Amino acid sequence: MTSAHAIPLLQARGLSFLRADEPVFGPLDFALHAGELALVEGDNGSGKTTLLRLLGGLLHVGEGELQWRGQGWNRDARAGEVLFLGHQLGLKMDMSPRENLHIAAGLHGMREGRSAASVLVDVGLPGYEDEPVRRLSAGQKKRAALARLLLLPAVLWLLDEPYANLDRAGIALVNRLLEEHIASGGAALVTSHGAVSFHGGEPKRIRMHG
Amino acid sequence: MEGCGVNQASVSRACAAVLRRDLTLAWRRRGDIAMPVLYALIVATLFPFALGPEDALLQRIAGGVVLVTVLLAMLLALDAMFRSDIEDGSLEQLVLAPQPLALMLAMKILAHWLTTALPLILISPLLAGMLHLPLPVMGVLMLALLLATPMLSLLGAVLVALTAGTRRSGMLLALMLLPLCVPVVIFAAGAVAAAQQGLPWVAPIAWLGAALALALVLAPLACAAALRIALDA
Repeated sequence: MTSAHAIPLLQARGLSFLRADEPVFGPLDFALHAGELALVEGDNGSGKTTLLRLLGGLLHVGEGELQWRGQGWNRDARAGEVLFLGHQLGLKMDMSPRENLHIAAGLHGMREGRSAASVLVDVGLPGYEDEPVRRLSAGQKKRAALARLLLLPAVLWLLDEPYANLDRAGIALVNRLLEEHIASGGAALVTSHGAVSFHGGEPKRIRMHG
Repeated sequence: MEGCGVNQASVSRACAAVLRRDLTLAWRRRGDIAMPVLYALIVATLFPFALGPEDALLQRIAGGVVLVTVLLAMLLALDAMFRSDIEDGSLEQLVLAPQPLALMLAMKILAHWLTTALPLILISPLLAGMLHLPLPVMGVLMLALLLATPMLSLLGAVLVALTAGTRRSGMLLALMLLPLCVPVVIFAAGAVAAAQQGLPWVAPIAWLGAALALALVLAPLACAAALRIALDA
């Protein structure tokens, strides 16, 4: 983390997204540095998910400017640095959590010293490694998807409603994952209606204009 | 990335992961693989019933009937190429993965071809046999199918990607794909007809091969571009 503190990972200036020429959100101005957590706040329909999908690279920038590490907003520069976890978890229902993780690791690579088995224990799914995902409860599916965050290397996490469907222990798990990620120099953008009890310093807040 | 060690995913490992995933999923739902095969079998059986069991007539139409039947059977399964991936969010993850999307999609198309077209090619001698296609022509028919079916998978993938966002895309897909199939059917049926008449059949097969080579390179790129557009809405 040498120059990471000087240049923000992510910088938005006057960022907005248009759908059929109607602005969905924005204009937004914010910067996110390595080691920072940002909460995206806003009512239903204010464009929180759209913002995350845009930052992930699924949607194009409508108006305004986005920079990644002080450079232009291009896909190759961000390759492998961003993880997106949306409402759709990206899990194959006919496969086990372990198999799903192996696929993800095949596509993204793996952090040193981590394995599918170890991260599944970490997210509280020991004993369910080889159960088809379709037999897991909604909360367990979410945990299986969260295991991806631990296994895959990425600097920026984009988490859309990471607390949905989780019990108390699951919410604590998400908070712990975020704290560890931020402490190790990662960054995260999180949308949530629920209260986030984050102990790693005051998170940044990005307000969407409803 | 600084800080923690990373085992970078290589392109070949990513390709293997995608291919293995799709083949495993297809195997776990192997009932779905049997559907197009049964459909082709039933359609090919209908022809002798409709036209009468006259050897000369059936022999003359056998090649064309098998080709068109296989094409329609493939069309049935084509619609599902990206559907489940879109529904469960796997496609988003694939698009966001730090890998060349066109290559990953090529693997998906390959897996789809292996699980839908290959079984159809394997039963095509049976279908052709039911219609009394002479044995020496069988080889040319299989060769024509081996070149024509990947073309359909590749062209179909581009169209499926284009219609990915829309509901009830099945009919739209058929309407868009079938006109594109016309040249493929003409060359493939031309080769079979030539072989049946004892004429040289290499030229139409070579044309199919050339078109396939072109589609192999261009279709995955077009498919990737179309999917990015479909998701960006």
